[in-house]
Amino acid sequence: MGYPLRKAVSGLLLILGVTFISFLLMVWFGPEQTYTLVGKNATASQIAEVRRELGYDQPFLQRYADYVADLFTLQLGNSNASGEQVSRILARTVPVTLALMLPGFLLGNGLGIALGLAAAHRRGQWSDRLISALSVTGMSISFLVIIIALQVLLSTPYGLNLFPVRGWQVTDFSSYLHYVTVPTLALVLITLGYNTRFYRAVFVEESARDHIKTARAFGASPVVILWKHVLKNSLVPIITRIMFSIPLVVISGSLLMESYFGIPGVGKVAFDAITSGDQPVLKAVVGLTAVAFVLIQIATDMLYRLVDPRVA
Amino acid sequence: MAGERSIWAQLRADPAGLAGLAVVGLFGVVAVAAWLGWVGQDWSAAGGGRWEPAGPDHWFGTNILGQDIFQRSIYSVRTAFEIGLVVAVLSTLLGALLGALSGWYSHGWVDASILWLKGVLDSIPFYLFVAAVAFALQGNAWAMHVAMIATFWTTTGRLVRAEVMKLKTRDFVLAARTIGLPDRVILRRHLLPNTVHILLVQASIAFVAAIKTEVILSFLGLGVQDGVSWGLMLAESTQEVLAGHFNNFLAASLMLFALLMAFNLLADALQDAFDPKQAAQ
Amino acid sequence: MRAAWQPLALLALVLAVSGCKPEREGSDPDAVQHVYRHAMDGGPSSLDPAKASNIYANFLAINLYDTLYRYKYLARPYRLEPNLADGLPQVSADGLIYTIRIKPGVHFIDDAAFPDGKGRAVRASDFVYSLKRHFDPATRAQGAWLWQGRIVGLDAWKENGADYDEVVSGLRAVDDRTLQIQLISPFPQLTHTLAQGYSAIVPREAVEKYGPEFAVNPVGSGPYRLLSFNSSGAVLERNTRFRQEPFSLEAEGYDPESQAGLGLESLAGRVPPFADRIEVEFVAEDAARWNAFIAGEVDFVKVPVSQFDQVLASRDPPALRPGLAERFRLSASQESGFVHTDFNMDDPRIGYHPDPDQQARNHALRCAIIKAFDWQKRNDVFYYGIGQVFPGIIPPVTPEFEVDQDRSPVSRDLDGARDLLSSHGWHGGNLPVLEYGFTSSVTERQMFEQFRSFMADIGYAADKIKPLTYATYGDYARAYLNREVMLVTTGWTMDYPDAENTMQLFFGPNASPGANTANFNNAEFNRLYRESATMQPSPMRTTMYRNMNRMVIDDCVTISGISRTLILLWKRDRAMLPDRAFVGGFYFRFADPGPAASEDD
Repeated sequence: MGYPLRKAVSGLLLILGVTFISFLLMVWFGPEQTYTLVGKNATASQIAEVRRELGYDQPFLQRYADYVADLFTLQLGNSNASGEQVSRILARTVPVTLALMLPGFLLGNGLGIALGLAAAHRRGQWSDRLISALSVTGMSISFLVIIIALQVLLSTPYGLNLFPVRGWQVTDFSSYLHYVTVPTLALVLITLGYNTRFYRAVFVEESARDHIKTARAFGASPVVILWKHVLKNSLVPIITRIMFSIPLVVISGSLLMESYFGIPGVGKVAFDAITSGDQPVLKAVVGLTAVAFVLIQIATDMLYRLVDPRVA
Repeated sequence: MAGERSIWAQLRADPAGLAGLAVVGLFGVVAVAAWLGWVGQDWSAAGGGRWEPAGPDHWFGTNILGQDIFQRSIYSVRTAFEIGLVVAVLSTLLGALLGALSGWYSHGWVDASILWLKGVLDSIPFYLFVAAVAFALQGNAWAMHVAMIATFWTTTGRLVRAEVMKLKTRDFVLAARTIGLPDRVILRRHLLPNTVHILLVQASIAFVAAIKTEVILSFLGLGVQDGVSWGLMLAESTQEVLAGHFNNFLAASLMLFALLMAFNLLADALQDAFDPKQAAQ
Repeated sequence: MRAAWQPLALLALVLAVSGCKPEREGSDPDAVQHVYRHAMDGGPSSLDPAKASNIYANFLAINLYDTLYRYKYLARPYRLEPNLADGLPQVSADGLIYTIRIKPGVHFIDDAAFPDGKGRAVRASDFVYSLKRHFDPATRAQGAWLWQGRIVGLDAWKENGADYDEVVSGLRAVDDRTLQIQLISPFPQLTHTLAQGYSAIVPREAVEKYGPEFAVNPVGSGPYRLLSFNSSGAVLERNTRFRQEPFSLEAEGYDPESQAGLGLESLAGRVPPFADRIEVEFVAEDAARWNAFIAGEVDFVKVPVSQFDQVLASRDPPALRPGLAERFRLSASQESGFVHTDFNMDDPRIGYHPDPDQQARNHALRCAIIKAFDWQKRNDVFYYGIGQVFPGIIPPVTPEFEVDQDRSPVSRDLDGARDLLSSHGWHGGNLPVLEYGFTSSVTERQMFEQFRSFMADIGYAADKIKPLTYATYGDYARAYLNREVMLVTTGWTMDYPDAENTMQLFFGPNASPGANTANFNNAEFNRLYRESATMQPSPMRTTMYRNMNRMVIDDCVTISGISRTLILLWKRDRAMLPDRAFVGGFYFRFADPGPAASEDD
């Protein structure tokens, strides 16, 4: 039972490290929320009062210790800006972020796998070159350019004007489709280039292996080869990629999408908290992100074992 | 090195890579010219009228203040290169250093702490980290660079670590140790030079990532503070496109795309040149 | 692998459906709903009236809660009107004692905070409690400055530990319906402050029950109650227990000449609030807000400046293009506030200096900078040319504004500027570096670059004008309130339609961290301010204000100023006159939602 224990300890160290660095950056050096919470004609004593209320005058270690304690007992507190309970803010916004990012994330990877397979299968031929060229093109366009262009083309009178420019008034499935389409398209376009390239490389390497040549020699049909052999045996790198891009795409990416499309998800909440210095929200988001990341690592490990018994 | 000639030959045989190199070179010349003060210096002068269309006075037209979009695009090349180079070089060096140390002393406490640091940095959502660094450095012009370098080194570090771990077991290294050469000499003279192919490719990837990141950061208000960059031009254009003025948007996005595409093709070509096995695929 | 997609897709679907906003109880989804959909260009700072510091929060606070006073719906300039109060206050002869009676039979909405969940009657003591909250540090309220040092015993109450059961002698509920306020010295604007969201009346039970969450759980007696609220919008529902006061055109200050074509006459006699629901969207991004309006998703919009070209057929007077005029109505309303750039007089490089010669040179430099500023161009580029530029600090929206004022302080005079510089020994080489502070948004940056290009014409090299950027307004506020910024560009939103509100911006003792960002300190100005502060509006007071204005202009303390002209558009079939002023927002109850909303508009 040494392995899970070691994993737990290293996970814990990781969480402590993340909380320490984020605390340092975002709380200690971060913006003081005082000046947004203080009235128009504040006196110096009023400012000092608010600072005291928000806890800015306590020493570093004291504040850090309180932070970690709060995190581990899940006493997340209330937002300094809106007064809402942080746990309720999270419960409200995390599902929205997931609903926003998952379709694009899954589609982007799914299409990437499909295109990568197709390119690897027809390696060297014109369809492969086309797919590779398109991938590089996709990798060379800025996220911002894609969003602006999509907005103009789909949501304004200069283009098709079919979808809303921003917002998230989701009450049923059809309104969900209405609001999630443009962000999903944007996300797919951004990630497709990178994904396709990566998966193509993985499949090409796998296809070059001896057991594939053997299967071909035995006359197995290409489709069977692709599905049963190439894909299944590439699961390890595929899983690694998907799992490790979750923090990047879903968490970081959601910040930008939500800011631009005005979607009330956790990414925007986190970003607003950083720029305004709303500590309770910050602590919760950063701490939980660290925990999520560690859990993802553990889950990835377990998936490896399930999929490939050779991995000890 | 014996392999060098064949790398150059590989590169020359790759038309896409050559094209990429040429375009990057062209942009580089423009950047240097702007830095030396020869071109793009009128980027802040509000000389023209509002939103003038492209014409003989202003080749790409003007923005809302009457500033020349062409001048601004040219000056932005300098900004892009400055950010790209600083971040690419420093993050690659940092990654090489830490990766080499980590790989050399692998499974020791040095390795463990570097890996821990890597894990921590990878666990913090990137844009949150950058926003936090920008605040911590209180609007310092280098805040953006510091934040990018602090996160970009991890990929290089990981690759160098793996490479050093592989090289450690090779004969020439064992020989050097037997002679009694100190560790840092081995690292500096024998190991790191053998990672140059990784470093070159990673540096070009980092360059691309840095420029793309700057675009987003400038849009969020955390990027370039004084001066002009494609990110700032795009941020400006978000308002303008809805009033039907596309010049700013087109100029910035096309130039940005050209440079990024060129660099990506170059990075690919470099990667193929250094790893012929993969190139054959 | 194919099989693996199905559970994943199912998971995605479940998560998607779960991401939908649940509706709070209180609405009958089958009933025909008259809905008014409003788009605001920003989000509220908080729904707690004690923290209603921005205009969006104020809008919501005054509709969810009752204030003692409000402003008449249609009268321009704005005039006070009793809201919860039963008539204007009775003021004692010395102007120190205000007696206010409140209307009977007003109830808070039903809420779990009350026994049996039934909302109780609003009492005078509720107002006392609400005002006391501003002086309790635990509330972190933002409105205390309005009443600080003005009400007998209130500041002492705070020193003594802010015990709500302790009586404050200057703020008493004589009985359930009568309120008495005793002032330390005359405060002519007191009644105006009682029309602000800060003074809205909250029930103690709810504040104590919900604690910090009271901010998202409003329990008020206003015309609307809250159904849902998040960072992108709020939904308000009519408060069926709101007092019945039929709409009277005359009482609301209707002017048949200018307001005849709005369709308001058809609403006479009906009982507000007219809309069953109000859906408010917080859309800061101009593009998104405009598109939502044009697509018909919202009924009202403040038109973003970038669209003025497409929207207006003429500027003076503003009129809609024909295609739009068929669908929408327009109101060109003067912003109640102004934008100006202050010099930090505390900075010896540009402001006060112990050496009188250097001080004179600094004064000349400031005046030269002001002369070089091109207000016409600023107006044209950023305000579509319809902003109102005026000299000094008395904005056009106030009654004290001088219409035929000498406009030379806001006319560009390059020769005069250059003369000033050369006669005081300034030249390109020894000009001090100017540090111009702003928050890093696109428009602010463009304004900075425009300023830089203005200064280039008097010999300021581009690298001598440095940007000091801040990622958020809070950060910027911290910097200038700590006197770290040399040139501070801010906007001031007026709290009430009285020039005293802008005069206090330059009163010496109000220096940073107070509202006097310029840190102006002129003994004569301060003396006149103290004298005029206790005077009721009168011609004599107006003359004093104009003298004080002259002093600010002559001392070249600020590059001032411009009041934006806001273009408000709303759907033609809605009979209403919306506003977007800090003293506005009361019109929500009179907003005509037009024909009944169908399921999908």
